[in-house]
Amino acid sequence: MLLTAKHLTKTYGHHVAVNGIDLQIEAGSLTAILGPNGAGKTTLIKMLIGQLTPSAGKITYQTTKQPGVVFQTSVLDAQLTVQENLSIRAKQYHHIPSGRIQELSKQLGLTKFLSQRYGTLSGGQKRRVDIARALLNQPEILFLDEPTTALDIQTRTAIWQLLHELQRTQHLTIILTTHYLDEADTADNVYVVAAGQVIANGTAAAIKQQYAQNRLILTSGQADPQKLASKARLVGQAVQAQANVVTCLVPDAETALQVLDDCRSLISNFEFHPGTMDEAFMALTGKELV
Amino acid sequence: MLALIKRNLLLYFRNRSGVLLSLMSAGISFGLYLVFLKQGMHQQWSSLPQTNQLLDSWLIGGTLALTGISTTLAGLNQLVWDREQQVQMDLMLTDSGPLQLQLSYLISAALIGVLMQGLMLAGMWGYFSMTDGLTIAWSQLPAIIGVMISSALLATVVNAVILRWVRSVDNLGKLATILGTAAGFLVGIYIPVGSLPTFAQTLVKLTPGSYVASLYRQLLMKETLQTVFTTHTTAERHFERLMGIRLNWSGLLTFSQTYHIMGLIFVGGLLVVMWPQWRQHRRLRKIS
Repeated sequence: MLLTAKHLTKTYGHHVAVNGIDLQIEAGSLTAILGPNGAGKTTLIKMLIGQLTPSAGKITYQTTKQPGVVFQTSVLDAQLTVQENLSIRAKQYHHIPSGRIQELSKQLGLTKFLSQRYGTLSGGQKRRVDIARALLNQPEILFLDEPTTALDIQTRTAIWQLLHELQRTQHLTIILTTHYLDEADTADNVYVVAAGQVIANGTAAAIKQQYAQNRLILTSGQADPQKLASKARLVGQAVQAQANVVTCLVPDAETALQVLDDCRSLISNFEFHPGTMDEAFMALTGKELV
Repeated sequence: MLALIKRNLLLYFRNRSGVLLSLMSAGISFGLYLVFLKQGMHQQWSSLPQTNQLLDSWLIGGTLALTGISTTLAGLNQLVWDREQQVQMDLMLTDSGPLQLQLSYLISAALIGVLMQGLMLAGMWGYFSMTDGLTIAWSQLPAIIGVMISSALLATVVNAVILRWVRSVDNLGKLATILGTAAGFLVGIYIPVGSLPTFAQTLVKLTPGSYVASLYRQLLMKETLQTVFTTHTTAERHFERLMGIRLNWSGLLTFSQTYHIMGLIFVGGLLVVMWPQWRQHRRLRKIS
């Protein structure tokens, strides 16, 4: 494990921001810490990067290199150009090779706006510069605190592509926080955090499998859905009937196929909704995530 | 650290209106003196020869001290901004530690202070030499630059001590307004300090900037005072005390005594300003 955190806790007076969180981060993995605003994600990250001292618990790194961090808000200077920002930061480190900025600019696609002032860039361009800044000292771990918040969908996708590419080509270990549920889907490991605690951990698929239910929505061919409902009930677990629509909660696709097969003669139409992270979150906390 | 100093300076000078505004506080008091006070003061001292030379250099001394205060405060704006916007967190992730970071703010603010005092001096010197035929000997310039540097260093450290309790740029703006208003009086730019009530005089003596003003005045007015008062030592002392050219503790302070007092304030202030960073530095070294 590249990074291990044991029973990490941070309290402010009587308020417990992070409450006994355990983390295990494997080298080269992409971990998403998912949770609503105020769940303690930022506090957790700040402790992991050493900017907050934990009230209790222990953090162990298997690397001596400073981590790269992309903060939630921009920390580069709006009045300076991208080039100036990066070269000033680069000089703060002891051993950054002179071609590093050019190399990163090429890799992250900054070359076109290197001489533009940071403040005049678009949200997505700024994020790319932020990531370049975080990668200056070739860290082994890159932390990103809500890197895609307030970005449009295309930019979010582009940032995610970039992160996956970095993970693949540089073998970079990435830890990020997000409150966008769909983003967690592509992570290797997801920690769902609420009220300062990890309430679920695993791959997105496993979490959904465990906590979210797939819904099979059947439209009855007849006006009275009762017949369809009672037949479906024999296979699916819970069934609700409303007008001529019957909704079954099924544990997996296999069961859904079985329901469809058995009720085929009574069905005029159907929809299958796989369980979402939102539902898993709802099931775990009783609250909507966003 | 050089890169950080360069960053602070770039950010300061790219904000043109900010540069101009930080000069304004000193510029305005200069203008106000010319419009409202100059004539009255001249009449009051008309019995003395070389009134223009005396009063003009007296005003220059006070205004430069004020310039040092207001421009270094503006220079330290970056420190408050970085703290508020969490830029310091990012800077702390690098290999340069808290001590270097803090020093970089102080050094760049002091550099700004020196430069701006230079500009102010050039402006006022130019103006008075045209209107009143004021002369300042070139040979005095090295000593003047010396005071300029000390003035900037002292003002930076004193301002940084005050800023320890300022957490937002918004509050810094309000503080700058208050300081700008009060400093003119506290430093005694355009008021004969010696004519103030005792309490006000104590306030002036408690203001580090008044020692800077006194140094400048002693330097700029030295030759003129000698020619004007020649052997009338008592009259000269009276004038020096009244006009705040030399501050009065248990006797009138000499040039080097004034420098010593400033040095003590500087060292004390520097300790207060660097202490938290030094502790942080020690803590970080223990961790790694």
